[in-house]
Amino acid sequence: MQRSLRGVLCLSFACAATLGLAACGSDDDTADSGGSAANGGKTGGSIRTAYTSFPDFLDPALSYTQEGWQTLWTVYTPLLTYNHAAGAEGATVVPGLAEEMPDISDDGKVYKLKLREGLKYSDGKAVKASDFEHSIKRVLNLESGGSSFYQSIAGAENYLKAGKARADISGIVPDDATGEITINLTKPDGRFPYILAMPFASLVPADTPFENQTKSPPAGVGPYEFANVRINRGYDLVKVADFNVADQATGKLDTIKVEVIKNRRRQTQDTIQNKIDYMNDPPAPDQLRDIRAQYTDKRYKEFVTNSTYYYFLNHNVAPFDKPEARQAVNYAIDKRSLARLFGGLLEPGCNFLPPGMKGYAKIDPCPWGAPTAAPDVAKAKALVQSSGTAGQSVTVFGNDEPESKSLAEYLADVLNDIGYKAKPRIVEGSVYFTTIGNAKTKPQAGFANWFQDFPHPGNFMFLVDGKSIQATNNQNFGNVNNPKVNAILDEANTNADIDAVADDYAEADKTVVSEADVAAYGHRKLTVFYSERMNFEDCTVWHPVYNLDFTNLCVR
Amino acid sequence: MSIADSQVSSELTPVAEGGPLATAPVAGLSPWALAVRRLRRNRAALAFGALFIVLVALALAAPLWADVAGSTPSKNHLSDTVVVDGRTEQVVTFDGVPIAPTWQRKFFLGADTNGRDVAVRLLYGARNSLFIGITAALITALLGVLLGTLAGYFRGWTDAIISRSLDVLWAFPVLLLGVALGVALATDGLKLGPLVISGGSKWIPTIIIGVVGVVYLARPIRGQVLSLREKEFIEAARAQGAGPIRIMFSELLPNLASTILVFFPLLVANSILLEAALSFLGAGVQAPESSWGTMLENGITLLSTSPHLTIVPGLMLVLTVLSLNIFGDGVRDALDPRAKVRLEH
Repeated sequence: MQRSLRGVLCLSFACAATLGLAACGSDDDTADSGGSAANGGKTGGSIRTAYTSFPDFLDPALSYTQEGWQTLWTVYTPLLTYNHAAGAEGATVVPGLAEEMPDISDDGKVYKLKLREGLKYSDGKAVKASDFEHSIKRVLNLESGGSSFYQSIAGAENYLKAGKARADISGIVPDDATGEITINLTKPDGRFPYILAMPFASLVPADTPFENQTKSPPAGVGPYEFANVRINRGYDLVKVADFNVADQATGKLDTIKVEVIKNRRRQTQDTIQNKIDYMNDPPAPDQLRDIRAQYTDKRYKEFVTNSTYYYFLNHNVAPFDKPEARQAVNYAIDKRSLARLFGGLLEPGCNFLPPGMKGYAKIDPCPWGAPTAAPDVAKAKALVQSSGTAGQSVTVFGNDEPESKSLAEYLADVLNDIGYKAKPRIVEGSVYFTTIGNAKTKPQAGFANWFQDFPHPGNFMFLVDGKSIQATNNQNFGNVNNPKVNAILDEANTNADIDAVADDYAEADKTVVSEADVAAYGHRKLTVFYSERMNFEDCTVWHPVYNLDFTNLCVR
Repeated sequence: MSIADSQVSSELTPVAEGGPLATAPVAGLSPWALAVRRLRRNRAALAFGALFIVLVALALAAPLWADVAGSTPSKNHLSDTVVVDGRTEQVVTFDGVPIAPTWQRKFFLGADTNGRDVAVRLLYGARNSLFIGITAALITALLGVLLGTLAGYFRGWTDAIISRSLDVLWAFPVLLLGVALGVALATDGLKLGPLVISGGSKWIPTIIIGVVGVVYLARPIRGQVLSLREKEFIEAARAQGAGPIRIMFSELLPNLASTILVFFPLLVANSILLEAALSFLGAGVQAPESSWGTMLENGITLLSTSPHLTIVPGLMLVLTVLSLNIFGDGVRDALDPRAKVRLEH
C-alpha cells in the first residue's frame, strides 16, 4: 500500500496491480525492526490512545489503512493470521480460526481448511464455515480496495458480473456440519496463504449486511470488541472476557480508548503530560528532537517499517531511457540528505527490498556508494555527459505531502547539478498516483513509495516487474521491464515455498539496484511514544505487518 | 461639472473683494498638482511609499544577494556545513531542523527544511509576490474599469448581464474560489484558445487573482459611470456627435482616473495577500519558485524550533501590505479628502 505522510493511505487501484504475485513467509535480520519479546507485564487497566485521523473504515471487508488494520486485528481473526510477535516470528503465517495451515493440492489450486471447534463471535453466535464465503462476498460486493486479491478464487469474477449479493461463489465450498472450507483457485497463487491472512478475509456473521458497517461494526472473533464508536471522533476496544482460541493472544488491557486528535503537536504534548498513553503517529517534527533526547528507550522508540522509498526513473522516456542517465541519478543522490528531509525517520539503504523482508540480502558494497557516504557527483556529471543527455529538460513529480514535495524539489536540484534542466511538478496528493500511473502523463521521474500489504517480497517486486506495466493505474511507474528481473520473478512468484525462492528475490533486488532500474534510498521509520503509565520494556511489540501490537500493550 | 472640476473649486482660496490682492494674479493649480501637494504633506504616506520602493529595490537586487550568499533560491544544502562564529554547524541537522539566522553572508536569515538559503528565497520570493500582486492588480483594474464602464454607460441588458455575472463572482468566497481554480489549473494549466499557460507558471495565480478581484473595482466604477453619464458634459459630447467609445475614453475615463489611482495600491496589497494565501494552501506559486506564501507554508511545521521560517516571510508580507495600504490611504486623501474608499470582502 502506498502510504501518505499524514497517515496511511492505500489506494484501491493499487491493489489490482498486485494480483499476479506469489506469497509466503518472511524473515527479519535487522536489529531494529522488532520490539521486545513482551512476555511480561500485568493485565488489566485502561489506556487512552491518539490517532491523527479516524480509520478509513471499521469494517474488515473495507478497511485498507494501517490505522484500520491495527485496530481490526484485535477484533477480527481470519482463517490464517500472524503470530503476535516482532520480527520474523510475527511475519510467519499461522492458523487463525483454522485448525491448521491449509492442505494445498499438488497443482496449487485447491486449498482445504477446517474451522476450529467451538468458535463463537463476541456476540455469542457460533462461527460457521459459510461465514467465510459471506465475508469474501462482502469484500467483492462492496468493491473493497482488497477485492482484487480474491478474484483468483474460482467463480469470483462470475459472482461480480452477476451482481447478486446473495449468489454463491462457486470456488468456495463451505460445509457447516464439519467446518470444512474448500477454496478453488483459477490458477496457482503462492501468495494465497498471505491473502487469507489479510484482514479482508476476517470472518463476520453471515447476516452482516452488504454495506459499510463502520457505524456499528459486526461482531468478530478476537480478543477485543468495538464499543462506543463515534465516527471521526473515536471508539473503544473492550476486552472480550471469554475469548479463548488456542495460540491466539488474549489481550492484556481491559479497555483501549482510541481518540482522534488532529493536531499532532497537541498529541505530543498530551503524551508528554501523560494525558494520552500512546500516540500512533510520530511526534510533530519540531518536537521530535526533544522527544528523542529525553525519552528514547524509556518512552520512545523508532522502528524501521517494511517499506521502500525510491525515485522512479521512466525507462520509456528520455533521458532515463539511457542506463547511464539512471546510473547518474543513483550516483548523485545523497541519502544522508534525504534522511534529513524525513527528520531522521528514514533508514538510508541501498536495497529496494526492506530489511525486514524475506529475501532481503544487504547489497554491500552498494554500487552507488555507501548510503551514509557523500555522493559521487563528479561521476554522475561524467555519466550525464557520456550519455548524451546533458541539457535535457526533466520534470520531477511529487505530491503535496510535505516530505514528497521536498523530495521532488531535492531531486530536481540534484538533476540541475549534474547537467539537466529540471523542475519539480507538485500534484495534489489524492490524484498523484493515478496521474503518474497513467501512460499519457509520461512522467520522467518522481517520488514513489510502498508499504507492504503482506510480508512477502513479491509484494514489493511487482513494482519493478515488467508484467505489472499497464496503461492506467500503473504501479510500475518507471516502466521497468528488465528481462533478468522478469525471468526471476516469473519463477519465484509461483512458488509457495518462500524459503526456496528467497535467494531468487534477493537476486532480483540486487539486479534492480545495480542496473539502476530505480533510485532506491531508504525505508521509513515509525515511532512509538508512550506516557509514563505504559510498560515500555515488557509490553512493546512492533509487529512486521500491523505495527504496534495492541494485544501486548500493558500498563505498569 | 466633472468631479475634477468640483475638486478644483473646493481648493480655491476666496479672495476678498476690493482687497489688496484683488488685482494680483492667482496661480491656478491643476487638481493633480493639488493632490501631489497634499500627498507631500502626508509624511506617513510618503514614508511608507518609500518603504515600498525599498522593498521593490530589494526584490530587484535578489540575484546580487544570491551571488554574495553563494546560492540560488532552489539550491539544496541539506548535508552542507557552515562556519558560524568559528564553529562548524550543519545547515540542516539529522533531525531535520534547519540552521537559524547566522547574520553573515551565507544563511543570513537561516535555512529552510531543504537547506535553502532563506534570505535568497525571501528576495526571489519578493520578486514573485510583487510581480503577481502588481500584475494581478493591473488585470483587475483593466477588467474592472472596462466592465464597470460598459455596464454603467449602456445600462439595460449589458448592465444586467455584467452585473449578474459579477454577482455570481461575488457569491463565492474569494479565497475558496481562488483555491479551487488554483488547484484545478495547477495540474493541467490553462488553455483558452491561443492562450496556453503551463500548470506551474506563475501566470496561473496572477490571472486567477486578477479575475477574482474584478468585482471589487467594477462595482464602484459602474456606480460612478451611472452618475457621470447623466452630467451635462456627457450630454454635450453626445450633442457634438461623439459615439459611445469616444465618450467612454475621452470623457468618462479621465473622470475615473482618481478612483482608479486610489484603488490601485489597495488592489496590489490585496493581490499580494491573496497570492500569499493561495501559495500557503498550495494553489498559488508552484515549486521550485518561492513566494512569501510558500515560505510560510514550509515553515509552519517547524514553528517552535525554527520560527525564523515563518517570521521572516510574514514580516515582509506585513511590511509590504502595510506600506501599500498607508500609501494608498495617502493617495486617497490627496485626491479626494472626503472619499472613504475601502476594499470590502
